[in-house]
Amino acid sequence: MKHKNRSLLLYCFPALLLYATFVLYPAVGGFWYSLTNWNGLNPTYDYVGFANYRELLNDQVFHRSLRFTFRYVAYMVVLQNILALTLAIIIENLRRFKGLFRTIFFFPNMISMIVGGFIWLFIFTRAFPFFANSLGIAILGESWIGNPQYAFYSILILSLWGSVGYLMVIYIAALQNIPKPLLENARIDGANEWQINWHVVRPLIAHSITIGMFIALFSSFKVFDQVYALTGGGPGRATQVVSLNIFTEAFAMRSRYGYASAKAVILFLIIMVITCVQLLIMKRKEVEL
Amino acid sequence: MSTLLGWFSKACIIVFLIVMAIITLLPVGLAILNSFKTNGEIYTNILSLPTTWQINNYLDVFRRTHYLRSLWNTVFLVTLSVSGIVLASSLAGYKLARTKSKLSHALFVIFILSMLIPFHSIMIGLVRVANQLNVQGKLWGLALIYVGIGSPMAIFLYHGFTKNVPQEIEEAAMIDGCNGLQLYFRIVFPLLRPITFTIVILNTLWIWNDFLLPLLMISNREKHTLLLSTQALFGQYSANWSQILAILIMAMLPVMVVYLFIQKHIVSGIAEGALKS
Amino acid sequence: MKKMVIFFMMFVSFVMLSACESRSDSDTIELNVFMSFPRFQEEFEAYFELFEQKMLEEEGIKVKVNLEMASSDTAQQLLQARLSSNDAPDLYTLHAIADIPSYYDAGYLADLSDATFTELVFESVLESVTYDGKILALPLESLAWGYLYNKDMFEQYDLTPPLTLSEMENVVSVLQANDETPFLLAFQESWIPQLMMALALGAMINSEAPDFIDNMNVGTGSYADISEVFDIIDLIMANGTDRAFETGGASGSADFANGEAAMWVQGPWMSGSILEVNPDMNIGLAPLPVTNNEETTMINLSTSTSLGVSPTSENKELAIKLLNFILDPEHSSSLFSSLKFAPLATVHDYESFSWTDEAMTYVEAGKAYLERPLPPGVTDETAVALQEYYLGDKTRQQVIDAIDTAWRNAIE
Repeated sequence: MKHKNRSLLLYCFPALLLYATFVLYPAVGGFWYSLTNWNGLNPTYDYVGFANYRELLNDQVFHRSLRFTFRYVAYMVVLQNILALTLAIIIENLRRFKGLFRTIFFFPNMISMIVGGFIWLFIFTRAFPFFANSLGIAILGESWIGNPQYAFYSILILSLWGSVGYLMVIYIAALQNIPKPLLENARIDGANEWQINWHVVRPLIAHSITIGMFIALFSSFKVFDQVYALTGGGPGRATQVVSLNIFTEAFAMRSRYGYASAKAVILFLIIMVITCVQLLIMKRKEVEL
Repeated sequence: MSTLLGWFSKACIIVFLIVMAIITLLPVGLAILNSFKTNGEIYTNILSLPTTWQINNYLDVFRRTHYLRSLWNTVFLVTLSVSGIVLASSLAGYKLARTKSKLSHALFVIFILSMLIPFHSIMIGLVRVANQLNVQGKLWGLALIYVGIGSPMAIFLYHGFTKNVPQEIEEAAMIDGCNGLQLYFRIVFPLLRPITFTIVILNTLWIWNDFLLPLLMISNREKHTLLLSTQALFGQYSANWSQILAILIMAMLPVMVVYLFIQKHIVSGIAEGALKS
Repeated sequence: MKKMVIFFMMFVSFVMLSACESRSDSDTIELNVFMSFPRFQEEFEAYFELFEQKMLEEEGIKVKVNLEMASSDTAQQLLQARLSSNDAPDLYTLHAIADIPSYYDAGYLADLSDATFTELVFESVLESVTYDGKILALPLESLAWGYLYNKDMFEQYDLTPPLTLSEMENVVSVLQANDETPFLLAFQESWIPQLMMALALGAMINSEAPDFIDNMNVGTGSYADISEVFDIIDLIMANGTDRAFETGGASGSADFANGEAAMWVQGPWMSGSILEVNPDMNIGLAPLPVTNNEETTMINLSTSTSLGVSPTSENKELAIKLLNFILDPEHSSSLFSSLKFAPLATVHDYESFSWTDEAMTYVEAGKAYLERPLPPGVTDETAVALQEYYLGDKTRQQVIDAIDTAWRNAIE
């Protein structure tokens, strides 16, 4: 037994060492700083207990960025999955060009969201006004970056563009795993396409939907690059997501490292609670089916 | 009647698909088209062909991003990080799956839990740790950090995969006199190849396109990755879209080329990875 | 299969080795310079190359200057990240008046009082980089600024720069009547709307509200005491160009150069970008009127971007040599004039710019004041709060509260 554990530690050592140094230690350190008033500049700081967390309760700017993030996550989880699943079903039912369409829709996933964000910035600020004038589509003439209402949808469009293909690929793989005879039997029994999708396919890919929801939820809570490249959190602070809020709080000149760390801890707790709840609910549903 | 309806709905579906495909490709298409124009032409008509193809935009960008250097830095960083992740986590993931003990279970849970820690929660502390250890500003140092952050997910995948690999082969090799590490490199690692492939693809994509961590860690422009040089140049040109677009296209180019050649493998690797978890 | 594993291991070790090797090129001294001037990258790169040559020829040292240019939006965050994690660049840019006190107090600035460049810089400019009796940075940008206006457009409608708020309202209505947009709004980068407050506040505390900063610092003051500053801000915001949040400094310069608006609350530091788009542009510079009291209409004298040295630098001597070289008698003038910076040292013998001359007529008439530092963080908060004010997200009272709070946090 002893020997077994020793060789286990030996095998795990490289991963464990780097993981402890660059993930666990900073995470614990971050929690410690969240209990101090360190400003990131001075060599000295004081322990302030939970004062930073108490202040967070009344921080309107942070609340607003939380609300914005939640709204973004809600839209993303729903839209990303619906779009990805729709595309997957359509493509899987095609007789020709399956590969072509899959290649096209997955393509944006290969691109960094920083680069993709700058490209969409061009589309929103140059191409949209041009199309608005030449095609007479008034809505394209709106200020898609400068108006907070529209800026939200700009970020959403960019994020969907960059992420739908990923989930679509997963759903396609799940659909391909469904045994073909099952579908044929259903067809022989006289079920129409809709009934087949709902009663036969849906339960069989329930597990993949759990995964899809999880991936969408988890990645959209951490959204940073998209917002950074497209709006920088602006106009004003209208599109400042939590991660960007932490970034500016931590590294701005009046920087309050301790306070920013408290925000980071809150973000971690939120993500942990929500993903756990989501996994539990979905698991239960899967079992029911 | 019903066949007409069926035909109609099919047509709608095809149109929807094609429209979505156009929306997906249009931004990059417009970016490529306009990157060959002068700035003035962009302002007058987004859709027109360039009157003369401005190759200069690209030559200028090529020179000013030190393109080859940034590309090499990125390739170097990604290769080192991904090799590290594969090596460290295949060892750990395999052994964790094969060892049944409380310690093994505890270690596995510790690794898995951290997958929930968002990067922004450790970012602040990470910058300090990196500096205390004097790995800041170095590409190999950044690679070590990537191994630390990327391992849990890879261990998780290796762990799951190993459980489905029959143990008989290893036992047979053990009887033939293979010791631990020999066994691992000769027998086990090759068996893990499918999942290794998935892990290589997932992590390459992640690290190649990661922005914030290199931004915080690498200050020296000679060590800039492709994305960092892109972002730095973006600031300089901020009103000159034709050149900015050329920069962006250049930044995408390597990924686009690779994707065109091995897209099937990439796509299947990713689907594999997600469904395995 | 075995081959593959061996190949893989070899590759890993090769990569590891090459990583270690590439770091040791020991006879070259590297100097890391952090600057927030992305638009001047080429100019500074070329100038630092001259420095490398000079060091090699005259002193026989191989020097390599690594220039990191951060975009204006992330410069502060990045510099902060580097400084707080003990990864300070050898030299870095900072704002003389706003930043020097807090950076020095935190121990991030070396004393440069003995460097030779200090003998060349004009006395008045040198004062602005002096704190705690020590000279702490080399000034780069010495400014006399207000707002910029399109001289040709003003002449066309027979207008002169207004000296009071009601005269400004008059100018605005004349321009509106002629279908010209009075003000250019480029609010995408938050530091630009903030300039309005900087000018208006500076005018007030140097005329009608001399105790404002002291009151704020002891906690009895509020921006409500000087709420007049919002009159001019409201006027500008109500009479500006569209799509303000899609226009940043660079595209704003292009718009201004193309005559999209008559006035722009922006400093002469943008004149280079403006002239690049329209070399024939006649740029005027005038003090911004804040109230109907002519006395409050003044030019702001300030030193902004300066170059400091980190006390932890391993090559401090060389860093100071680089600072001295920036005021090199042979090369400095061409650098400063190409950047459109005002002359600030005895070695600068280039002809001054027309907008500087125009500003100087006000200065000579006594209509000018020296900028005073605000506590760290107040300017940042003002910048975003004004963006939100323009959006309608914040009322005037909420802007006042936000800045008051930032000030309170800073002096705690």
